[in-house]
Amino acid sequence: MTDEELIAEVRGWLAANWNPRDKVQAESFGRSPYQSFLEKVLAAGYAVPSWPKELGGRAMTPAQGRLIEREFAAVGAPGAGQDRHNLWANTALAYATPEFRDEIVPKLLTGAVGMCLLYSEPGAGSDLAAVRTRADLEGDRFRVNGQKVWTSGAAIADYGMLIARTDWDVPKHLGISFFFLPMKQPGIEVRPLRQITDEAHFNEVFITDAFVPAANLLGPLNGGWKVLQTALAYERSVMGDAARGPRSGKGSPKGDGALVELAREAGVLDDPLIRQEIAQVTAWKILNRMNNARAKAELKRGTSSPIMSLGKLAMSRILHQEARLRTLLLGADSLLEGPDHPRAEDANFLSLNAYFTSIGGGTDQIQRNIIGERVLGLPKEPEIDRTMPFREVRSG
Amino acid sequence: MTSSLSAEELDAFLESLKRLLADRCTEGDVRRLMEQPGHHDADLWARLSEMGVPGLLVEPAHGGLGAGPAVLERAMEELGAVLAPTPILSTVIATALVQGLGDEAVSARLLPGLADGSTIAAVALTGPAAKWTAESVAVAAIPEGNGWRLDGKAAFVLHASAANLLLVVARAPDGIALFEVEAGAKGMSVAPLPAFDRTLDLADIGFEGVAAVRLSAPGDGWAVVEQALDMGRVALAGEQAGGTRRVFEFTTGYARDRHQFGRAIGSFQAIKHMAADLLLESESAISAARHAAEALADGAADAPQSISLAAFACADAYVRTTADSIQMHGGIAFTWVHPAHLYLRRARADAQLLGSSAAMRERFVQQLGG
Ligand SMILES: Cc1cc2nc3c(=O)[nH]c(=O)nc-3n(C[C@H](O)[C@H](O)[C@H](O)COP(=O)(O)OP(=O)(O)OC[C@H]3O[C@@H](n4cnc5c(N)ncnc54)[C@H](O)[C@@H]3O)c2cc1C
Repeated sequence: MTDEELIAEVRGWLAANWNPRDKVQAESFGRSPYQSFLEKVLAAGYAVPSWPKELGGRAMTPAQGRLIEREFAAVGAPGAGQDRHNLWANTALAYATPEFRDEIVPKLLTGAVGMCLLYSEPGAGSDLAAVRTRADLEGDRFRVNGQKVWTSGAAIADYGMLIARTDWDVPKHLGISFFFLPMKQPGIEVRPLRQITDEAHFNEVFITDAFVPAANLLGPLNGGWKVLQTALAYERSVMGDAARGPRSGKGSPKGDGALVELAREAGVLDDPLIRQEIAQVTAWKILNRMNNARAKAELKRGTSSPIMSLGKLAMSRILHQEARLRTLLLGADSLLEGPDHPRAEDANFLSLNAYFTSIGGGTDQIQRNIIGERVLGLPKEPEIDRTMPFREVRSG
Repeated sequence: MTSSLSAEELDAFLESLKRLLADRCTEGDVRRLMEQPGHHDADLWARLSEMGVPGLLVEPAHGGLGAGPAVLERAMEELGAVLAPTPILSTVIATALVQGLGDEAVSARLLPGLADGSTIAAVALTGPAAKWTAESVAVAAIPEGNGWRLDGKAAFVLHASAANLLLVVARAPDGIALFEVEAGAKGMSVAPLPAFDRTLDLADIGFEGVAAVRLSAPGDGWAVVEQALDMGRVALAGEQAGGTRRVFEFTTGYARDRHQFGRAIGSFQAIKHMAADLLLESESAISAARHAAEALADGAADAPQSISLAAFACADAYVRTTADSIQMHGGIAFTWVHPAHLYLRRARADAQLLGSSAAMRERFVQQLGG
């Protein structure tokens, strides 16, 4: 199929199946409001075009996949490009047993299940290999006990991707397993936490004698660290690609000229200092996009791209700097918040929510360590508890 | 001489202020006041008044301690460290305005109440352009009968809900002048504003034919206003320096206590170096604020320049320190119950009040001859 034929096909399909007026203000967590549309997307092979046919794909090249994504983006339709950014489905595809994969992947691709990430614990944040939540095999299921924290979306999730300790007598990275834990069961208590943004997307999760079928294990028993690295890589690449925009939604200008528009609106576009800042932040955004595009192209040729690891760090800098710039544009108006002051609301929200990217999914400091050690191959920092049996590691 | 208090008296004063705040202005108190309209704690204000805090600038003849700006700045460091929600900033500006008029009758009438805290003043100064400059004054005054009438708009007025004295800076035919308006006067509308720093009481005030008494003598009085603003900037710099230091302290404390990878996170150079940079910010903010206050107290020639420097150095140090603090804490500081964001909110607010950092930098360069 030529590119032109593909584009014509996708356009025709979207015209028949997608009404832009169906667009809702979608929450980033929980089940998708577009389930029935997403089922059609999957059936048409647009959800994961690079995957094999039997898994819902069309064995297309990544470049063809991007053409489909572009057509979807042009009309604001959801559901394309999930072979790149659906971290749940990709992780399950790579590591679930065929039976569990066939059961769960279609649900993940159609947003029929809400998901959360049960990684962080009070004593294990940057140091995820220090998790103390335990999973003990009992017949054909594991009994799970422990506490998770900062779990985004847990309150409305059907499954959590869980890392738990399954062997305490080996070094910390070697005794962890990775599960799809059903969230709606008696042993799981979710307590929402109020965030600095005054929202409550993240939660504490207390797990007391909850159960997960052994069939929901991803990868080998005690081989969860490697599964986690795959899942984290997807999560970080998503976070490097895009971030939550303004919260007020009050006709915020979009595109590369957005900051210019905001400055014009604020009457400060002729301020040379502000012009310099606009150039800087906008350049960082464009460069991040170019980097990500080049990383994808290099991946396609089968080389792993170091650029891939840079996106999240770049995005974090972009968001924090954009918050500063939006504040500068507004001056004293940035003292305000709320629906009557949408520009101030956006600047202040961004100044807080930027930490979602610079802390969540691994902090900027950890990202720099990863780039230094895994990408550049610089010597690792000594880690005193890396080789001792986890049982002997003192708790955080 | 920078203050009428001896070194020992100053230490004793600051010590009892710290004790009072530790007792009456805990984080829990601040959070409780955030939820209340006006965010004013009458009881805390009364106790601060007993100690003489509102009257630090007022000469003893009018009931104050006459301690001057240097002591005021030190007191502001303590208030800033605990995010005390008080009307101190507008009290300082109002006091300096009244003192700047040099009119004994007005002083005798207004200063005693300001000094003993029974008068809570709001100062309507800047218009919607919100630059705290003469150009951004947007209330017009015209003579009417024996008095004056005011029309226009004042923006971002501090502490208006608790105030029982309203001073208005307005543009009269002969220049910028200072007026007094009775609380609740006819034609005046006070619209509270939703502030990102939820300890802050902010309002827009509209004037439509509001009757006013002129306090300033004929002729342009902007110089008096600018002087009062500078006094306010010194107080604000003290608040920022005190807040910066407190955030620095609890952040480095956390870096010592929190362990990951079997080590204190402060043992990682990424965190250690951020902490070192924040010490530089915090100490520089304190130096800048104290120097500006002392220069003002001494009537030094470079006082205005030192105030410009303190205004942007302290504002920027506070914003940077509170921002880095959240990053250095990780997820715990993304929660509402953690104090880091309360300081971030205050730092972002303080950086806008009485003129932006950018404006203060510009003023500084001009003062340097540029
Ligand atoms: C908005 C938000 C949403 C989140 N959602 C989820 C979620 O859905 N699921 C989930 O499991 N987790 C989630 N998290 C948790 C997040 O992944 C952790 O907060 C993060 O990994 C940091 O861990 P921590 O909070 O324990 O901080 P710590 O690990 O204690 O870090 C504290 C500070 O120390 C630094 N530090 C730690 N180790 C090193 C090192 N080796 N070198 C240099 N510096 C170091 C960090 O950079 C940070 O500045 C979320 C966090 C946020 C803020």
